[in-house]
Amino acid sequence: MGRPISEPLADIIARQWDVIVIGTGIGGGVAGRALAEAGHSVLFVEMGRAGLRAEQTGLDIGMADPVARSVRGLWPDPVRAEVNGMAQEFFAPLGSGLGGSSVFYAATLERPERHDLDDSPARPHPTGGWPVSFTAMQPWFDAATAMFALHGEPDPLSDIPHPALIAPPPPQPGDAMIMARLAQNGLNPYRLHTALRYLEGCAECLGHKCPRACKMDGRSAGVEPALATGRAHLLTDCAVTHLARDGARVTRVFAQKGGEAITLSARHIVLAAGALSSPRLLLASRSEADPGGIGNAGGLVGRNLMFHLNEIFALWPGRAAGFAGPSKSVGFRDLYFAENQRLGMVQAMGVDVGYGEIVHHLRGRVAGSWLRHIPGAMDATRIPAAVGAKLMGQAKVFVGLLEDLPYAENRVTHDPDHPARIAMSYRIAPELLARRKIFRRLIRRAFRGQRTAFLTHRPEPNFGHPCGTLAMGRDPAKSVLDASCRPHGIDNLWVTDASVFPTSMGVNPSLTIAANALRVAATLTEEK
Amino acid sequence: MNALTDGCAIVTGAGGGLGRALALALAPHMQVAGLGRRMAALEETEALAGGNFLPLMADVTDVVEVVQAFDTARNIAPITVLINNAAIYPRRDFLDESAASFMATVGINLGGVVTCTRAALSDMTATGFGRILNVATFADLHPLPASSAYSVSKGAARIFTRALIADIGDRFPGIVVNDWMPGMLATDMGIADGLEPAAAAKWGAKLALWHDPSLTGTTWEMAAEIPPARSLKRRIADRVLMRPRAKPRQL
Repeated sequence: MGRPISEPLADIIARQWDVIVIGTGIGGGVAGRALAEAGHSVLFVEMGRAGLRAEQTGLDIGMADPVARSVRGLWPDPVRAEVNGMAQEFFAPLGSGLGGSSVFYAATLERPERHDLDDSPARPHPTGGWPVSFTAMQPWFDAATAMFALHGEPDPLSDIPHPALIAPPPPQPGDAMIMARLAQNGLNPYRLHTALRYLEGCAECLGHKCPRACKMDGRSAGVEPALATGRAHLLTDCAVTHLARDGARVTRVFAQKGGEAITLSARHIVLAAGALSSPRLLLASRSEADPGGIGNAGGLVGRNLMFHLNEIFALWPGRAAGFAGPSKSVGFRDLYFAENQRLGMVQAMGVDVGYGEIVHHLRGRVAGSWLRHIPGAMDATRIPAAVGAKLMGQAKVFVGLLEDLPYAENRVTHDPDHPARIAMSYRIAPELLARRKIFRRLIRRAFRGQRTAFLTHRPEPNFGHPCGTLAMGRDPAKSVLDASCRPHGIDNLWVTDASVFPTSMGVNPSLTIAANALRVAATLTEEK
Repeated sequence: MNALTDGCAIVTGAGGGLGRALALALAPHMQVAGLGRRMAALEETEALAGGNFLPLMADVTDVVEVVQAFDTARNIAPITVLINNAAIYPRRDFLDESAASFMATVGINLGGVVTCTRAALSDMTATGFGRILNVATFADLHPLPASSAYSVSKGAARIFTRALIADIGDRFPGIVVNDWMPGMLATDMGIADGLEPAAAAKWGAKLALWHDPSLTGTTWEMAAEIPPARSLKRRIADRVLMRPRAKPRQL
């Protein structure tokens, strides 16, 4: 398949679509596919390019030219972030093209735990619980598991069935060895749930674009099957700028296409531009009726921004182990909820930690220290990075995903003078730092007797896992969206990306995004 | 597409010299289409090949002719191999060049490579699979007298190889691109006591049919890989890290 074909622009503009889907990542792709398969006419609007199907581009945080970045499907511009009061500008691991960030992802789709969504006396939920319970979400988790062809093993610590999960191919020797080693330490490892179909010749495209529909992402599991129905169309290089509503209905979608301002309309709008951009578009949708933007009467749009903290550590399994290749597909949940704290799961890094990532990591550390005033200090990071890369080659790298909790002051901001720019303000909460301490102590203890080293020293928000900025909830005073993921009081605007999460959970967000998108698409179809 | 030899190879300048020898060396392995300006010369190559060779009259400086020739070739099979060989070497003092005569040489030696590469990439980026071999020289390093247009254009072609890799190397690792210096040949462009083009073409054809992503960006001279120059910093870093020196590969 080459470039997806779409109708002439004039026809697309003139047409009244059943649904316009803004964004083609997991949330937009999956919702659009489900809606097209349910018989709706669907227009996907993607800010970035369609790209070429055979590309194998990786997520390159070092590439700075905006044209080179958009050609590759990377978010073209640096994001502005005020982190703990310090202004920073950097390239976040974000996609901008067909499939969004998901075409680059490591395809780890893990189901959250019951307590991630539900409130219980033993594990009280910090928000009182999601407005949709784990039990209500379960069929959608199963449907998303099937749609993404998830291969993996059930978590041995869980008693909740995982009927759609497919047994993975036999583990690589490195993975088998690391699982044995983890089990020796009393942990309960399992093979991660990976969205790979393992087609013949599968190269396990984790961390870069897959040239075939083998890795399942927003493009291969979402937009492409949607286009195959014949009811969906794709408009690329088209950046939505704002929306306009008429009473309880959003009636117009304003966008820039090839330097021209265009207006699109549909009976329903699905907003899935990602947790950093969906709130930005609503904040930009100002009018007399909505001086602070659509859905923002309570002033909550963009607030409660969360990331996971990445606790990355290396484990040297010893010379005798003779590991070949990185460990890709092993994780465990023994520390997920421990010492009465919400922590998170630990996973082998699906992506090789190479020289480039280490340079970036060290530069980040230099930039945040007094060393930044020393000329040449940034370049000097290359040498320890090269040494590090040499050592890492022999170590297995793991990441612990530490759950973040919602704080209103952490938020996406909107600058009317630079409406297209992603900007945010984020402070690492003292409570999060306290849980981080516990998490690191428990990780160290879990690997007692093994040679380990933390590669993250300062707290490292995972800017690839933003969520919570349009949280759903039961109380209109405390949430942006209702349980159906529509802004309170709006009938036809639906959000299906990670913006909707009331809390960040202790797992990668993708499975929950996909499951929720399927749930929302079903609600929309029922109401048609 | 699993093998380069399932597709069609394009050799430019196939009516004589090294280009003809390369076409003849490839034809036993796969379908070859030879581009050239003189049909009679291409037909001679066809007769020598005894099959698997399609003569296509096209001037590499003419975009329309090149696009038509590539269309004809891809009707047989998708283009998997491109050898950019066509070049001219007018011995001319710069004071005897006009701006137009100088740029005409650039148009063939650089422009031809750009035009044919762009045309071949239509096929190769659709499959993510292909091989581009650029016939190159060291003429740019120490330009000889009476060689200004040649030195400049061939040097620019080497920069083009690197610039092309900067744009597509990370996105299409399966499109393998590199430069090959055939050595001093006994051709019209070369020297009387040079190497027989058929001997050099054996290496060139072998290299063109070698589809190893790690070849991208490498430079080869005759049958051997030329290791990239290492900066002092790199040499020290390699020593500190006790990194073994890569052995240059041989054909």
